[in-house]
Amino acid sequence: MFRTKITAAALLGASFLVSPAVAQELRFTVWTGNDAHLSMLNSIGDSFKASHPDVTVTFETIPAGDYIQKLTFQLAGGTPPDLGWMFENSMPTFVKAGVLDELTPTLAATDGYDLEDFSKPAMALWSKDDAVYGVPFSTSPFMMFFNKDMFDAAGLEDPLTLADKGEWDMAKFREVSAALAAANEGKWGFEFKDGQGYDSRIMHAIMPPIRVYGGNAFAGGECGFEKPEAVAAVTQLHEMIFKDGSIVPPGEQGDFFSGSSAMTINQISRASKMPDAGFNWGIAPLPTGPAGASPVIGQAGLVVFSKSKNPELAKEFIAHMTNAENVAVMAQFFPPARKSVLDSEAFTNANALIPAAQMANVKAAISDGQVLPSHERTPQIEAAMKPRFDALWKADANVEEALKAVCAAIQSEL
Amino acid sequence: MSLSQKQLQLIKRILWTVSLLIVAVPFVFPFLWMVSSGFKNAAEIFGQPSLFPAVWRWQNFLDVFDHQPFAQQYFNSLYISAAVTVITLVISSLAGYALARLRFAGSALLMLFLISALMVPEEVTIIPNFFLIRWMGLMDTHMPLILLPVFGAHGVMATFLMRQYFVALPKELEEAGKMDGLSRVGIWWKIAIPMSRPALAAVAIITFLHSWNLFLEPLVFLSSLEKFTLPLALSNFTDAYGLPLWHLQLAATTLAVIPILGVYLIAQRQIIESFAMSGVKG
Amino acid sequence: MTPSEKTATMAHATRVPWLTLRRKEAFEAWLFVSPTLIGFIIFFLGPLIAVGLYSLTEWNLLSQESTFVGVENFRDALTVNPDFWLVVRNSALFALGLVPMNMALALTLALALSRPFFGVVFFRTIFFAPVITSAVAWAIVWKFLLQGEAGAVNQLLASIGIDGPNWLREPDWAMFAVIVTRVIKMVGLNMILYIAALQAIPRDYEQAAQLEGASRWQIFHMVIWPLLAPTTLIIMVITTIGSFKVFDHIYLMTGGGPENGTLVLAYYIYQQGFEFFNVGYASALAIIMFVIVLALTIVQLILRQKGSG
Repeated sequence: MFRTKITAAALLGASFLVSPAVAQELRFTVWTGNDAHLSMLNSIGDSFKASHPDVTVTFETIPAGDYIQKLTFQLAGGTPPDLGWMFENSMPTFVKAGVLDELTPTLAATDGYDLEDFSKPAMALWSKDDAVYGVPFSTSPFMMFFNKDMFDAAGLEDPLTLADKGEWDMAKFREVSAALAAANEGKWGFEFKDGQGYDSRIMHAIMPPIRVYGGNAFAGGECGFEKPEAVAAVTQLHEMIFKDGSIVPPGEQGDFFSGSSAMTINQISRASKMPDAGFNWGIAPLPTGPAGASPVIGQAGLVVFSKSKNPELAKEFIAHMTNAENVAVMAQFFPPARKSVLDSEAFTNANALIPAAQMANVKAAISDGQVLPSHERTPQIEAAMKPRFDALWKADANVEEALKAVCAAIQSEL
Repeated sequence: MSLSQKQLQLIKRILWTVSLLIVAVPFVFPFLWMVSSGFKNAAEIFGQPSLFPAVWRWQNFLDVFDHQPFAQQYFNSLYISAAVTVITLVISSLAGYALARLRFAGSALLMLFLISALMVPEEVTIIPNFFLIRWMGLMDTHMPLILLPVFGAHGVMATFLMRQYFVALPKELEEAGKMDGLSRVGIWWKIAIPMSRPALAAVAIITFLHSWNLFLEPLVFLSSLEKFTLPLALSNFTDAYGLPLWHLQLAATTLAVIPILGVYLIAQRQIIESFAMSGVKG
Repeated sequence: MTPSEKTATMAHATRVPWLTLRRKEAFEAWLFVSPTLIGFIIFFLGPLIAVGLYSLTEWNLLSQESTFVGVENFRDALTVNPDFWLVVRNSALFALGLVPMNMALALTLALALSRPFFGVVFFRTIFFAPVITSAVAWAIVWKFLLQGEAGAVNQLLASIGIDGPNWLREPDWAMFAVIVTRVIKMVGLNMILYIAALQAIPRDYEQAAQLEGASRWQIFHMVIWPLLAPTTLIIMVITTIGSFKVFDHIYLMTGGGPENGTLVLAYYIYQQGFEFFNVGYASALAIIMFVIVLALTIVQLILRQKGSG
């Protein structure tokens, strides 16, 4: 290498020393197009130059809705990115397909990286048999967003107050939802996550209640939807939608962020939408249920694709991006899985939009929460579930029968 | 009191027109609603329906360009459609001319061969074409969006349309051209092509719109935002978390649809005739 | 080849041994069709053969592993997978709903608009406008209009006292809605084909029938309809094939739902191939689709032969 450079310099002059042969590029796919996110990511990309002066990291946005599909097309289509973001529910599929590179050796070899700083539960989804295939960059709990103005106008105590008093449970949730819907003609008490609870976010809609009722989705090849706990949880949602009229029903738009619903469950990244909302708001823990509290966490991770032309470099960049310092930087948007960052005071003050007291709840949820279920055959399971849930979300549906049908449909995939 | 024949005629006319107007509602309303909603905010779109927004949010139309590289996408659609149109015109008129005017063994078989393409939906060949395009190293480029319509069912349709027209042209002028010593290409270019303006215009119009509205191919072959074409971009108005941005989507859809609609309103006779010509091909 | 032509060729052949005028013409002809032909072989014929080969494999798009499985994919589709027959049923329902509705409306509009009157251009322009509009835009807008209670369609219905269904959430209504909106989108095309055909019918025929005292219905039934038969068949073939091709409309309006109620073959192929990455199974479905469309076209062409012969 050195010799080549000398020869080249001798032949072509000193300017050739900044040889393009050494300059390297990493293509990094993300699903955000948000300017604030991208400028933060670019600054992390630039800081990599301190140790790798010739490396440029390019962040490439693929819209979230098509992310996995477009990514697959790139991998299968011969234009693979080097590394990228990965959804939790797609992770097992990608690991199984063998298209991700193992990160463990590089992370272990990086000075001061401290992989142990990531808690075991936080890493569970991203590792297989002790081999790490991804590092979570966002470990974001589901929180209850509420429209403070609507609660005040209805003369109700808001979820944060109720949670502090220890009264914020599923029964209370139902009660206030109904009261809010009754007090606001044409509006609703509660909206499922992003208004997508009947479509792309079925699991996000049903898992929080199912967990606090003590149920589960699928664990160890067994379908949990037809168990009494899950049936009770889904029945409550069903009654809230069709009896109480307090949850935005299928086919209607009750956008929380434009003030059409008083509450929604979402992740704190959505707080970035709040300054435009024009009402007072807050975030509270999820309501507890018969099985107590059971926070739900959504994760997203960083992975290196096996087809990358520069897999080693890509892994080094992941080690750089997820070191303690950069995790702290990313914490302004993406709640961290590193315990050291989570425990720092910087974290509770990291989000300019959310008061420290409410961030403490976020932190508690991250520490105690469980990630959403995922499976190697996620696309097939979700596609098989969807038509059966369509049948469930109808006024005259028998919830228990419908959930049995869900299990019957997905059992062969599990 | 009885109505005169003329009055009766008038009443019939009025009733007739009113019923046509009622039938026209579902054809026109979507356009009106789309434009007016493009000016609304998300809450108003789903509120009490009104033909005019409470506040005209011109900002939506600017935000469209912030949210996606929409100008680039618009340009992509324009230049791809133009390229498809020009290439289709050249090769379909060449092949159409040969099939109409030149006698050669196998022309009937070739016609039959090509006709089969008209029956096969592109969904049937999209998977092998995916691997073909990958093998050619053309994934996430605009080449497949140009190559597939030009050489697929649409190109064949254009070839037949051209053939149909050439067959009906008088031969005398071509004979004269031959006398003047024009080569075959010369006859095609200097005589046949100028005489077939209506057919060329028809092919151009239908081809442009076909390419402009293409959806499956961009969906499968493109993955970078700045390479998207309009239909793909329109289906993709979601924020960083996959949430639909309704008002922007409708503003963008308005921006994509209205210019084409404007051209259509100006040249509606020509455009409608073009489609009528293409339909007679079967 | 007539004897005189033969001698002509031979006469040429004695002077120009190889490049006869005939051969030159054929050579030029192949040259002229070569771009079309080569492209056709590469991007159409080759892939058509390839999809047949793919259909005999199990092939995962993501992991790129493929194994030969023979006719297993077909067996799976036809005898094991319950979704397949649902999809075939949906595609058939879609075609059976769309084709007659489209043709009846097209013919009605054409009859109304084939003669000049004040406003005829206005109406033709309006009924044809959706044809030139992108299917994506059309689907996006109608998806909004057909929302539950807040949707414009239901608000409109409510204003005249009708409690509209939750269009895109009930399987049967969703199928109805995608058919009707597709008809509105495409009916203009068939309308102008019918108008062209109607205008080609000499007025004498009608006038003669009128003189004989035939009613308007009789004129239509006995004179116009038989004369329209060739056009009707063409339109039927085009519309039927078109109904099997519909992808974007359904992809954007319902995504195949609810309860798989609008999952049609074109979308199912896409879903299997590009969402579940089952290249082999999707290819088998594509072959099945090819066979169905081919069979329908042949049946219709035979009918056409019978009709004209």
